Amino acid sequence: MIEAKVRKQLDQFSLSAELEDSGFICLAGRNGSGKTSLLRAIAGLLPVDDGHIRIDGVDVTRLPAEKRGTIMVTSNSFFPHLDVDSHITWGARLKRIKPEEGKVSKVKAELGIDFGGSVRSLSLGMRTRVALATALLASPKMILVDEAFSILHERDDFIASYRKLVSAEGMDLIFSTHDEMDGRLAEHLYVISNGTTRRQ
Amino acid sequence: MNWLRAVALTTVFLLLVPIVILLYYGLGPFRTPEGYTLGVFRSIELSLFSSGLAAIVDIAMFTPLAYYLARGKDPFAEALVDIPVGIPHPIIGVALLILDSPLTPTGRFLLFFGINFFNTILGLVVALVIMSAPIYVKSMQPYFESRDPSAEEFAMGMGASRIRTLFSVVLPDSLKGVASASLIAMSRALGEFGSISIIAYYVLQYPFYGVSPASVTIFQLFSGAIPGGLNAAVTASAAMILVALPITLVGHLIRRR
Repeated sequence: MIEAKVRKQLDQFSLSAELEDSGFICLAGRNGSGKTSLLRAIAGLLPVDDGHIRIDGVDVTRLPAEKRGTIMVTSNSFFPHLDVDSHITWGARLKRIKPEEGKVSKVKAELGIDFGGSVRSLSLGMRTRVALATALLASPKMILVDEAFSILHERDDFIASYRKLVSAEGMDLIFSTHDEMDGRLAEHLYVISNGTTRRQ
Repeated sequence: MNWLRAVALTTVFLLLVPIVILLYYGLGPFRTPEGYTLGVFRSIELSLFSSGLAAIVDIAMFTPLAYYLARGKDPFAEALVDIPVGIPHPIIGVALLILDSPLTPTGRFLLFFGINFFNTILGLVVALVIMSAPIYVKSMQPYFESRDPSAEEFAMGMGASRIRTLFSVVLPDSLKGVASASLIAMSRALGEFGSISIIAYYVLQYPFYGVSPASVTIFQLFSGAIPGGLNAAVTASAAMILVALPITLVGHLIRRR
């Protein structure tokens, strides 16, 4: 469950957004509408001027990014020096979580990760699949996907598979997109315009 | 653009004129065997050894500082890093002498533990670290700044601290930057004279007993403190340039590739 009411002044742009929901959430808006700023604020990567952010009832407004349990995934969220398998379990190993028997292969199969080798040599879409699998296996409270879905092949099917995995783990997820129609892929749709959110 | 290129290349050439002239005379008309004696080569060896060691210390000790400055935006710390470079270099030599003098409490403390800077390899390396670390930091900082922070933020989201992110995510992907910055820092250390001519004019330790750093030896040849005269000083200088130049060039080229 995310409860966010944040205000942030960035040069000429003013973010004044509210979001209160759980589950699989779509955040739609044009370029420059404030999608990334809001996601970064929730992830603890952009300090807010005013307001609060609560995740599962815990106030994380002043917590640093590494203590929030929120993972931000963009199309550049990958570690090029690792191979696919050690990348996928990186976060889990960091937290000393041992994934249940067969969980890693199940996630790989569901997300179409039927390739290996160095992450550096993968295509952008393959890297993004690996990053999303890594985030899932790190067991965060919430995953924030900043337009990373949009570059994937057979995107809608992938999002449906990812949504199933995320809800089975009891996590929340917000993904940003340009297209309001993507709301059909989520449980809840928020539209952001000029830094202000509106629940649909 | 062609005019800009012409002006730029002319100014670089002007910078290099004295070095080119010195190389010409050192390897040509002024060349004398007194400029490449065993003593001169031992000096160059000591300079390479101590500068290489200083560059390794720079990597081990100052990489976190460069990363902190790149991601932390701390203008105060940034200004502090520049201080050793901004003051006359002999002052660093004098400062190290005072720090480790039997006349001061800090010196008595260090000497009690057998830490002696005066005419030791340790003193030489410490002076070179002080003079080269700012160059290393100022070379690594823009390298870190130019990295897309997404991977680091991804790691932090998974619970990694900044320092863990540096060692597990950033450094394995920055080997080229580290190699380049450390070679540039090493070439800066090779060129140091002011501080080491005070703290370690020569070294009284195995395997460099009685050996001076190359820059000091060249000064001794020039001033007549050791026989050879100007021709020997020019010859030894040319030899030193031939050793130092590839280190500087490789340091810059690694980053470009």
